[in-house]
Amino acid sequence: MISFTSYPLQLDDESFYGSRQHHPDAAEDIDMDLDDEQELFEAGGSKNLTYPGEPLTSSHAYMRGHGTYVNDEEVIASVAGTIERVNKLVTVRAIRTRYNPEVGDLVVGRITEVQPRRWKVDANSRQDAVLMLSSVNLPGGVQRRKLESDELQMRNFFEEGDLLVAEVQAFFSDGAMSLHTRSLKYGKLRNGQLVTIPPILVRRLKSHFITLPCGVDLILGLNGYIWVSKHVKESDQEGEEGFDAEAVYSNQNDRIDELTRVAISRVTNIIRVLASHFVPLTDTLLLEAYEWAVDQEDGAKDLLQDDVGDLLVAMITTRRQ
Amino acid sequence: MASISLSKAEKSYIQTGLLSNPPLRADGRSSLDFRSVALETGVAPLANGSARISIGRTSNGGGTEVLAAAKLEVESVGEDGVDGGRIMCTVSCSPAAYPHISSNGLDDLQHDMSSILHQTLSHLSLHPKNLGILPNKKSWLLNLDIAVLSDSGNIYDALFMAARAALWDTKVPRTRSIEYKVKKTGSSVTTGTGKNGGSGDMDVDEDTPSGFDTRQIQNATDFELPDYWDEGEVLDGRDKWPVCVTLNLVPPVHYLDATLQEEAATPLKLLLAFSFLPSTPPDIQGMRIIGPGEIKPSYLKDLVKDGEKYARELFSSLNAKLKDEDLRRNQKARDRFEQHR
Repeated sequence: MISFTSYPLQLDDESFYGSRQHHPDAAEDIDMDLDDEQELFEAGGSKNLTYPGEPLTSSHAYMRGHGTYVNDEEVIASVAGTIERVNKLVTVRAIRTRYNPEVGDLVVGRITEVQPRRWKVDANSRQDAVLMLSSVNLPGGVQRRKLESDELQMRNFFEEGDLLVAEVQAFFSDGAMSLHTRSLKYGKLRNGQLVTIPPILVRRLKSHFITLPCGVDLILGLNGYIWVSKHVKESDQEGEEGFDAEAVYSNQNDRIDELTRVAISRVTNIIRVLASHFVPLTDTLLLEAYEWAVDQEDGAKDLLQDDVGDLLVAMITTRRQ
Repeated sequence: MASISLSKAEKSYIQTGLLSNPPLRADGRSSLDFRSVALETGVAPLANGSARISIGRTSNGGGTEVLAAAKLEVESVGEDGVDGGRIMCTVSCSPAAYPHISSNGLDDLQHDMSSILHQTLSHLSLHPKNLGILPNKKSWLLNLDIAVLSDSGNIYDALFMAARAALWDTKVPRTRSIEYKVKKTGSSVTTGTGKNGGSGDMDVDEDTPSGFDTRQIQNATDFELPDYWDEGEVLDGRDKWPVCVTLNLVPPVHYLDATLQEEAATPLKLLLAFSFLPSTPPDIQGMRIIGPGEIKPSYLKDLVKDGEKYARELFSSLNAKLKDEDLRRNQKARDRFEQHR
């Protein structure tokens, strides 16, 4: 029922520096970017991670970007992260950070507030995102204009705590993002559970809606919120043009059988394990991990044990090299 | 309440899972499974006893993390102190652990936690006998301070486990009383005498015989620490400190070790604090129902019975872990001694 473990031993200096490596995928990316540009590494040696205060390069030759500052004619990293360079612009992408939105990103968010004609949405960003009443699909047809009565019944569409999937539409002058759900793919989420990982681990994919063969749908929000739910057949999603308000803004879950629930838990745990080992997520990787986990014939909860998690990550990283 | 916001669909997903047969939880645990609990004692070098605990920790952090430290302070009886010593428990929550709660709400929350812990642990039936120094003059005040560093559910169990571990680890310095004796010539001289004026610790100072006088010294005025380096003896009655199990209730079922999401979906929980002494029936040291809702007395009876079973299991594995920790630290101290020799 309950088991006690010890805290891991404090790392001494030697093993700390030994472990400062990237995940192989990420290391590859950086090499590709920078192999012709060894100058940037002058100060940092062969390390791929910066530390705050680390001098990167001369400010005469390069421009400072996000995550850096200039002092004494040197560009200095202000965060721990990976160096990225576009022409003469040097930026450091922090390892642990809030989500930096870009227009067109798919995000999963949670309603925090209902305001006049808009919802405030927590999307793991520095500020709450805004979802305008005019940028959601209203019941009764996609092209319907919003009415005053809609403003009065906003909580029938989304209320506090509701989860939704949306796309970043634009930015306001203060940097807050504006979302929209004007697509049948977007909208309220149900039939599943949320798992949160660092946003840097979600890579840009061709599609962020993933269906695993075990009957589980995944929505990988670029903000690090991942929705794991029961698979819904496309034909069942919505009848062609007929936009069913009942279904889209419903709070009721469908019946979910036991096997699907176990599969959802297993996928969630795999995502947690991968995130705790700092492995970036992709659909193929998840699939491999899921097959491995099923082969082990353990329960879903066993994945959360440290040794099983280590095995899983070791399997994935070796297979991908 | 300290729960996070959750959509109706998520709530009903969690509740239906718990009510299905067998109960299915979000991370695949069965209803009586705990997440893995990491425990370490002796983490604060300046405290008399300390421990940190984390429930559901992964390799890059997360989980419910609690730090507990016990510090002894000398009090004069009559000013603030009480003859025989007293215990004060304080819980403080880091704002980082509850980012969604305002500072006022946080104060309320830590007051709630402090009062539950204090009322349970400072009860007379648990009072350690060796907190007195000089009868009716000096006593120890044991400050048990607990910091909640992060909360991902099941905070009360973590608080009680941390408290038990820190108190288990607590060492009370040995003291020796001093009295003034008037010499026959008339000038007063200080002398240290042997027999301890404290009430409970007769067994400690056999090595300082007090001559022929075996009576208790009644006119001792002050005390001294005979050995600066010695950490002292363990707190009396350390086997008695209770453990708490939180039963989260979704009638007709209940489950243990809820995550934050599960807590938000199950408003009603029952805290049961048990203390187990070998060869005596277990004592309920504390009991709380938290959240809206009601329980029928007959149902409560069953819950207490079940709770005792879980608590006993928790208690015995916690004890085993604490003994392991004692061994580990002895070993570490010995290694360090070897190195410096």
